[in-house]
Amino acid sequence: MKINKLLVLALLTSIFITSCSEDSDDNPVAPKGDYENGLIISHEGNFGQGNASVSFVSDDFLTVENNVFSNVNGSPLGDTAQSITFSDDLAYIVLNVSNKIEVVNRYTFESVATINTTVINPRYMAISNGKGYVTAWGDFSDETDDALLVIDLTTNTISKTIATNYLPEEVIAVDNKVFVATGVFGYGNLVDVVNTDSDVIETTITVGSAPNSFQLDANNDLWVLTSENLVEINTTSNEVEQTLSFDDTISSPSHLNFYNGDFYFYAGGSVYKQDATATSITAEAILSGLNFYDMSVDNDMVYGVDAKDFSSNGDLVVYNLTTSALINTTTLNIIPGGVYFN
Amino acid sequence: MKHIYILLPFVIGFSTLAKAQVDAVQKLDEVVISDTKLIDYANGIKIEILSDSIINNNRTSLTGLLAFNSNLYFKENGFGMVSSPSFRGTNASQTAVVWNGININSQLNGQTDFNTINTSNYNSIAIRSGGGSVQYGSGSIGGSIHLNNNLSFTEHFKTVLRTGYGSFNSKNLGFNSAFGTKLYTGNVAVTYVDSNNDYKYLGTDQINENGAFNNLNLNANLGFYVSNKDIIKLYHQSYFGNRNFSGTLVGPSRSKYEDENFRTMLEWARTSGKFSSKVKAVHLHELFKYFENKDKANFSLGSVNTLLVNQNFNVSFSDKLQFKTILEYSNTKGKGDSFKAPVRNAFSTTALLNHKLSNVIRYGINLRQDFITGGERPFVFSVDASFDLFEHYQIQINGSKNYRIPTFNDLYWQPGGNLDLVPESSYQIDLGQNFSYPHLNVKLNGYYINTKDMIQWVPNNTGIWSPVNIGEVASYGAEIEVKSHYTINKHQLHFSGHYSYTVSEDLETNKQLIYVPFHKGNLNLAYGYKRFSMFYQHLFNGEVSIIGNSLSSYDFGNMGVSYVFNQNKKVNYTIDFKLNNLYNTYYENVALRPMPNRNFQIQTTIKF
Repeated sequence: MKINKLLVLALLTSIFITSCSEDSDDNPVAPKGDYENGLIISHEGNFGQGNASVSFVSDDFLTVENNVFSNVNGSPLGDTAQSITFSDDLAYIVLNVSNKIEVVNRYTFESVATINTTVINPRYMAISNGKGYVTAWGDFSDETDDALLVIDLTTNTISKTIATNYLPEEVIAVDNKVFVATGVFGYGNLVDVVNTDSDVIETTITVGSAPNSFQLDANNDLWVLTSENLVEINTTSNEVEQTLSFDDTISSPSHLNFYNGDFYFYAGGSVYKQDATATSITAEAILSGLNFYDMSVDNDMVYGVDAKDFSSNGDLVVYNLTTSALINTTTLNIIPGGVYFN
Repeated sequence: MKHIYILLPFVIGFSTLAKAQVDAVQKLDEVVISDTKLIDYANGIKIEILSDSIINNNRTSLTGLLAFNSNLYFKENGFGMVSSPSFRGTNASQTAVVWNGININSQLNGQTDFNTINTSNYNSIAIRSGGGSVQYGSGSIGGSIHLNNNLSFTEHFKTVLRTGYGSFNSKNLGFNSAFGTKLYTGNVAVTYVDSNNDYKYLGTDQINENGAFNNLNLNANLGFYVSNKDIIKLYHQSYFGNRNFSGTLVGPSRSKYEDENFRTMLEWARTSGKFSSKVKAVHLHELFKYFENKDKANFSLGSVNTLLVNQNFNVSFSDKLQFKTILEYSNTKGKGDSFKAPVRNAFSTTALLNHKLSNVIRYGINLRQDFITGGERPFVFSVDASFDLFEHYQIQINGSKNYRIPTFNDLYWQPGGNLDLVPESSYQIDLGQNFSYPHLNVKLNGYYINTKDMIQWVPNNTGIWSPVNIGEVASYGAEIEVKSHYTINKHQLHFSGHYSYTVSEDLETNKQLIYVPFHKGNLNLAYGYKRFSMFYQHLFNGEVSIIGNSLSSYDFGNMGVSYVFNQNKKVNYTIDFKLNNLYNTYYENVALRPMPNRNFQIQTTIKF
């Protein structure tokens, strides 16, 4: 049935997508809430089963709380938490199947607002020029209703809809632009560039098949990881600077991270490290035998989430980046799909 | 009400309550059913037959009928939505639905959606517990549900008109006409059901906003004696369904599902002394269109056509010894957006033996060998026996090996389909004790089912979901069925109840499978006095585990009253009034999908 196909698609596409919204915190003197100084893990839950959730794990891994949203607010979070975007004191939890964005205080997780009018299949969000930009598929079966929704962050309403290429996914803000990856496994190879002063698409850049993650390097160049290559884009000129193609030893790379001058990504059960100055793919596996559904690199650690068989509780798995030692394994909730630093 | 139990070798019929007089004519008929092996080769098998008047209390939905009148547990994605059973702890693809002897489970997903079967189209519905792959093929693991249209070769002409209206703007219309002589007979029926189904979610300000459905059924069944030895029979059914799919409490829906099924069977039966033979040609068609957004024209499509030829030959060496052989060939062609155009050919040979060894012991031995495209050759068997130990006490026992072949979705779905799948295979044993007294019947059953090579969809190492033969599940449990009937002057009292305790464990994790309750029970009370009758039914569904959580137990009741006007005249009228969910209980049968609040239905029936 088509439902299955959509489910399968929705699940498999999210495998290739990383979370890239790391915000540097100011250093608070007084605690801002229970969920500060730790990791926020979003859980997709099962497609259509309404068991999306958020977990908190303290930096020292000693404090763990599942179902943070429902514990605080007394109501279920929703269906299929696709991603979380942070801005100032707020977290925007994008719920794909619930067709809504839950706005909460990032430190207390108290609900602030729900954005749910005319949102269909929302995926990811970025903040630029004081506005929110949410990618939304519309109907999967309709190639003409895909859009970037512009959110007025003062009223939490949609102020404009910008049509994009088919299946807009990751979105990243760079100065007064947002870059939108379009396409998922088997579909699409384009990045739409939207000017956030005018809110129109200023150009579309062709990359590799199914662009799945973005990272900015130290020079503010945008790196796009696709199923077949790693593409460097000059964010001022919107020109492709270079394209590094994968050979067949690495298939379906995903979850691009940039940390301390190096790229890290995940492919086929391994974490690879790629020198950011190399002009070809020289990546070598630094960790193997993994089953990551998402990963983030920071604090000299790799924070991976293992969704296991998608019906039992998943794990947060943390490795030391230099020694490859396993630092911590914490069992969380159903289908952990995003790791964020709070 | 009329219940018939088959406690072979006895056939005990309870016939009563207000509708008994109307049904009386039918009881005397020479009734021909198409699927004789359901009764003739089932000594050691628990079979429960639901007749017309039981069906009447849960008209239009097979889910409702069986939930209240059998040991089956159902999960339903909201009222009227996709509904699938768990029979003895097995999964939705492990219950076969058999239409006049032919397995009609979908070739695409291996299941039948029990909300697409309108119960008023059948004369009787039988529940056959336990493995039946020898007789009914793939998927008869937990048990099978049999939808039977009977043909009666007597002088009769009877027409029934039904109209109903209920809460949520639910409407139903039914027309059924049956006619016949000693030489020919026929019945035609049309039923239409339509509901906005926009019930309130109790305790919230939401309603079931995308739940509207309607469906149309056309049925025609004909029989002719072409000589005193030969009967030609034609069975046909068309179903057209149109449903919006409800969302959940936290996930709205805008989808729509249209499906159609055509089933046609032409049968030639010849009886000559000890020998009888039947040749059947069957065409089955299934088609669905799934609209992600009901307001748009885009949809995805899947359809399957099956042509099947079946020849069986029966010899009665004596009234103690019967032997039957069956040869069957089928050709199944699929077409769809998510798979190309798969074709499957299957050939099977079956031999059934039934022997009455003494007045106490009857037994059967049954074998089947299949040959299926792709090289699969499942071999299955069953043995069964009954022991009439005392006047009121019988023991039934059966053991069988059963199978389920991978569906077209499992094999050919893009992406993910896996051509290396092998059939699921299952061994089981079932022991039953039957106590039958004039006013009381009790059946106690215990069973054990082990199923290997279960086909489960899991993400592979590239993240694509793909089916593999991994699971092994052990299901075991106990069932009790109690029926009691008393007539005191003109007062008639009827009681029936079912309870099942079911363990169904994944042998790798040793955990109970999701959506299999340990406890499930129901009871029915009916009272009749002259033209008046009433019933009360109650269902208890124990807590079930769901992924990462559990779903609370629930229980709720329905009641109905009925009055017949003009009872013994040529034309009679019946008015039924039914209150569903009498106590206005909030319950979820599937997580986050609330079921209807209290609602009513009124129905008028004219018979002439």
